[in-house]
Amino acid sequence: MVKTIISIILVGTMLFAGAIYEHTFVNKQFDDFHQVLTTLYDKIDNQSAVRDDVLAVQKSWLEKKKSLHVFIPHNDIKEVDLWLSEAVTLVRDKEWKDAISKIEVLLELAEQIPKTFNLSFENIL
Amino acid sequence: MAVTFIRTLITIVTLIVLMRLMGKREIGEMQPYEFIITLIIADLACIPMADVSIPLGYGIVAILCLFLLHQLLTLLEQGGLFLRRIISGKPSLVINKNGVDMLELRKNNLGVGDLIESMRTAGYFSFDQLSYAIYEANGSLSAFPNDSKQNDSLPILIIDSGKIDTHNLNLIHVQKDQLISFIESQNTSPKKVEVLTIDGEGKVYLKEKGKKFTILHFDLGDNIKW
Repeated sequence: MVKTIISIILVGTMLFAGAIYEHTFVNKQFDDFHQVLTTLYDKIDNQSAVRDDVLAVQKSWLEKKKSLHVFIPHNDIKEVDLWLSEAVTLVRDKEWKDAISKIEVLLELAEQIPKTFNLSFENIL
Repeated sequence: MAVTFIRTLITIVTLIVLMRLMGKREIGEMQPYEFIITLIIADLACIPMADVSIPLGYGIVAILCLFLLHQLLTLLEQGGLFLRRIISGKPSLVINKNGVDMLELRKNNLGVGDLIESMRTAGYFSFDQLSYAIYEANGSLSAFPNDSKQNDSLPILIIDSGKIDTHNLNLIHVQKDQLISFIESQNTSPKKVEVLTIDGEGKVYLKEKGKKFTILHFDLGDNIKW
C-alpha cells in the first residue's frame, strides 16, 4: 500500500512537472524563434536582408532544435530546417518574393507547432 | 541502427522497472484492467522503439501514465469490496451442491463446453467429481473436489442448455429416441435439462433447471465402453 502510494505521488509529480516544463519550454523556444523570424521578415520586406542574416537565424534555430528534439516529432523539426535552408539561397540570390513566402511558412510553423502541445479540446480529440 | 538499439534499451529498462513495480502476476492471473494495460504498454513501447522520428519521450510518458493509472486502480481496488467488484469483477460459483449453475455461467458469457474445458485443464473430467467450482475474477477455475467420487471413464456432454448434441450422441452409439425416452422416464424433457453427460460406464449426470443434479444409470449395452 505504502509503495503504491509513493509510486503514485512520485510518477504523478514527475508527469505533472514534465507537462508544465514542456509547455513552458516549447512555447518559449518558439516565441523566441518567431521574434527572430519577424525581424528577418521585415528585413526581407525592405529588401535589406543579406545571406548572413538568414544564416544567423539558422544558427539560432540549430541551437534550439537540439533540445526541442526531446519534445517535438523530428519530422516537424526537419520541416523547419528545409524551409530555412531554402530561404538562405533565396536571400543570397535576392529573390525577395520567394524568400518572403518561405519566411511566412516558417512564421506559421513557429505559431502552429507549440499549439499542438496546448491543452485544448481539438488536441485531445 | 545504433539509435534504435539505444532507444530499445531505454524502453526495455523502463518497462522492466515498471512491470516489476506493478507486481509479479502472470498473464493468467491478471485482473481484466491489468491485462488491458499490459496490451497497450506492449504497443506503446514498440512505436517509438522502431520509429526514430518520434521522440522516445512520447512512448515513455505514455507508459508512465499507464503505470500511474494501474497504481491508482490497484489502490482503489484495495479500497473496498464495492470498488473491487466494479474494477475487477467478482468470482462466480458455477458448480454448487445442486450441480452446474447455468445462470452464473451465462452471466459470465460462458457455456457448459467452456466449463468442461476449464475443468479438464484443472484435472477434473466429471461434474460430480466437484463439490464446488468457482471462476475467479481473473478467469481461472478454482475447484473443490468431491473426494468420494472418482471417475475412470470420460463423461461426454450430451445436452447443453436443452439442446441435444447429436454428434456426441453418435459417439456413444445412442439413438436420439432412446435418450429422449430415458429423459422422459425421469419425468422431464430434454428442453428442461440444462446439462446431461454420460460416461463410458453409463453413469449419467443430469441437471434440470432449478433442481439439484442427479446421478443416474443409462444402459449402453455391452460393447460401448470408452
